[in-house]
Amino acid sequence: MATAALRSQVAAKWHEGFNRLNRSEPGISGLLSFSQAWNIATDYLHPRDISDPTSVKHHDLPSVKASFDLINRSRRLPVMLETFLDDICDQYHLIVRDIEQYLAEYEESADTSVILRLVFRLVEWYRAWAPIDELGPTIRAAYTLTFQTQLFSILPPAFVRGFKALCASTLVPVAQLAPPMWEAFEVLGLTDRYEGIIASVGYERIEDYVRETCTGRWDKPCLEELRVWMTEQIVPWMLPMYAKGAGNTEDARGMLQNVGSRFDFHMNKTLCDLRTSEIFDIIIDFPDSNGALQDLKECLQRVDQRSSLVQALRKANRKRLLHPGADTKLILSQYVATIKCLRIVDPPGVLLFKVADPIRRYLRERPDTIRSIVANLVGDDDSGDSLVDENEPIQPLQQLETEDYNDPHWDPEPIDAGPDFRTNKPSDVISTLVSIYDSKDLFVKELQVLLAQRLLAITDDNFEKVEKERRNIEILKIRFGEAALQVCEVMLRDMTDSKRIDGHVQSQKASIVHPTIISRHFWPSLESSDIVMPGQFQALQTQYAKEFSTFKPDKKLRWLPHLGTVHLELQLEDRTIETDVPPLEAAFIELFSEKNTWTMDELIEGVGAVDRTAALKALITWIDLGVLKEDEENTFRLLEVTEEAAPSSRTAPTASETPTVTAAQQQQADQMRLYWKFIEGMLTNLGSLPLDRIQTMLRFAPGYDQTVEQLARFMEAARREGLVVGRDGMWKLNR
Amino acid sequence: MEQLTTSLAPPRANPKPSVTNSSQQVAGSVAKRLTNELMTLMMSSSPGISAFPKSDGNLFEWVGTIEGPAETIYAGLSFRISISFPANYPYVAPAIKFDTPCFHPNVDITSGAICLDILQDKWSAVYSVQTILLSLQSLLGEPNNASPLNTDAAAVWDTPDAFKAQLMKYYRPLKDTA
Repeated sequence: MATAALRSQVAAKWHEGFNRLNRSEPGISGLLSFSQAWNIATDYLHPRDISDPTSVKHHDLPSVKASFDLINRSRRLPVMLETFLDDICDQYHLIVRDIEQYLAEYEESADTSVILRLVFRLVEWYRAWAPIDELGPTIRAAYTLTFQTQLFSILPPAFVRGFKALCASTLVPVAQLAPPMWEAFEVLGLTDRYEGIIASVGYERIEDYVRETCTGRWDKPCLEELRVWMTEQIVPWMLPMYAKGAGNTEDARGMLQNVGSRFDFHMNKTLCDLRTSEIFDIIIDFPDSNGALQDLKECLQRVDQRSSLVQALRKANRKRLLHPGADTKLILSQYVATIKCLRIVDPPGVLLFKVADPIRRYLRERPDTIRSIVANLVGDDDSGDSLVDENEPIQPLQQLETEDYNDPHWDPEPIDAGPDFRTNKPSDVISTLVSIYDSKDLFVKELQVLLAQRLLAITDDNFEKVEKERRNIEILKIRFGEAALQVCEVMLRDMTDSKRIDGHVQSQKASIVHPTIISRHFWPSLESSDIVMPGQFQALQTQYAKEFSTFKPDKKLRWLPHLGTVHLELQLEDRTIETDVPPLEAAFIELFSEKNTWTMDELIEGVGAVDRTAALKALITWIDLGVLKEDEENTFRLLEVTEEAAPSSRTAPTASETPTVTAAQQQQADQMRLYWKFIEGMLTNLGSLPLDRIQTMLRFAPGYDQTVEQLARFMEAARREGLVVGRDGMWKLNR
Repeated sequence: MEQLTTSLAPPRANPKPSVTNSSQQVAGSVAKRLTNELMTLMMSSSPGISAFPKSDGNLFEWVGTIEGPAETIYAGLSFRISISFPANYPYVAPAIKFDTPCFHPNVDITSGAICLDILQDKWSAVYSVQTILLSLQSLLGEPNNASPLNTDAAAVWDTPDAFKAQLMKYYRPLKDTA
């Protein structure tokens, strides 16, 4: 049961409501006019179907306005807005129908103009349903919001695709811009909502363009050209979207600054990515790819892609360069090109350091690296293209120096430098290559070996070649220092001395032997051979040696017959054969002047001791020349009269040319033998010693450079051979 | 004449530092010579003789080993000797003595001192550790009985059995530690 108080309260409310609507008009006439105004207003606002011509109603605008005014005065406007917005939601199915229709058409034709028409159609809807301006901006904004919310909630993904395509279509080729389209987008709020999509259209366009125009074009920088393209093509496209409402170019520039720099960044990034993916080939093409490197340098300053460049290059190197299939020379030249390229891209050398490390490590493991570098240094390269730039001034090798903090031009290390980064001052390529190894001694040794080979290969009076070597050595002296190449100097002097001595000996007693007399101590250890030259060769040698010892009584000749060449004239019954052959061949054929048939074993015995493969190879030379014939296996007969060349039953075994000079590796083994002598000496005299004592005592051995681990392995090997016994960490000789 | 030569001599501006300098140089050159001799000795592989520096820090104190030459009374025995090089080596002979007691006419049995002409007045700078060791090795088989240090040994030299008995009485085989 309602109390009197409640009743009076309800009555008060009622009165208040009534008065608001009735506006103190007499009776309920106020109420009536309000309800009339409400009807007019809601009818006016009711969202109509624009595709239905009958739905078009003509309103008397003044009365509509009056109605709104009345509603406003009765403070019923919010309620009306609510009703209106509800109506919009109710009627939205009309728009949905339209959208579905257009999109279906688009799906079928993939024609972006359909989307454009759809957009315009939506604008029509929007305009048709919009309330009159007199209702004020609040209601207008509420309407727009509701319309757009509804719109976005129903737009299917297909629309987004179409929209993107539509945007793109305005870009390629940049069509005469369609300002109405952008306006329509703006009206519908599509610009804001799909800003990401619009931007991505721009990005994609940039990516496509960069890839299209710059891929594989490394000869000149592209960046400048791309910037021009951006200003001419992309900026006008951006204008209506990002600089809408800009009154003049000055304003527009200000508005574009932000988004413009984003696009510029994207362009840099795309180009950087492209060049990063091409970097290996760019380096191969160097110096024809200078332009690309300039671009890369500029991009890297803008875009932080340095680490990905390093990654990419390291990966490419691993895949394409640092494997057994690649020639050492090739790796070296690519390394040198890498040095040159990355010096352009990154002058402080951090990138280079990071990329070079694996290459250097790999090269260190290759046995023929030193040889290749040295061969290149002395211009012994078959390929002809030298690692060293002709124009680069020859300068002494530079040692890696510690940082000089007193240097007024000192710069701190770049921030991305690793802890073991060493600033290599722009040094020349040779210094860098030599620094692959810890010491230059290895190079000097290899250089001696190579020089020995080349000098010994010089025959006859070809003295220009010796002069050429001398020039080479002079140049190398500048790099490696006078002292290091002293031995080479002696070798060269031996060559000239030999000629002089030979001249003297010949003047005393003419001989057809022309030896090259070398000082054993200064030449790399030469492969020794046990060939004893038979017959007339022996006589010639002895005779020459006699003359030599009268000329130089304090010296004795030790022959290395296997290193020479012999010019032979064979007089056979029906023919004469003239040929230049190695000494072993000559020795064999000399034996045939004693008797016509020899077995292999007899022949080998006749010349001292040679290895069978070498012997067979020498004999096959004669078989090929048609001088000998192998009647039955291992029996050879001299063909005094030519016989029909029977197909040789044997093919030359693939005995590699015996290297004249023992290579550095062999020398290392010799070195270990030397160390063993020292170990033997100390263990003989000092009894048993612990390993570290041996290590320190080996200091006395010249050039000892092994680590204690290496020594331990060596001692272990000696133990296995029964030379030493080790007990309780003490080593002693096994006797 | 006297004046002439002095004026020809290079001026010595600052004698003091040059003195220290030259002494250092001398020490360096002796060390170099000894290093070379060690190298030569190691590479020569002469049978039965060997020597090596006692420690890695001092190149002037060596230990040597001499095996008695075959077909002599010392055959099969090994003797340890110590070699001490003077600072002005090789202009002065090294001091050498037997560490292993050696019953020999020219060797003092207690001190190990050796009476050998090339180690005294006949020393020459062209000799080396290797020549000394070879000389000592041959001295074992061919003693100089004319000037004996150990008269007992010289006396029994002609009776090999007695000599051998004496020799073995004093001889101590080599131990492993120096």
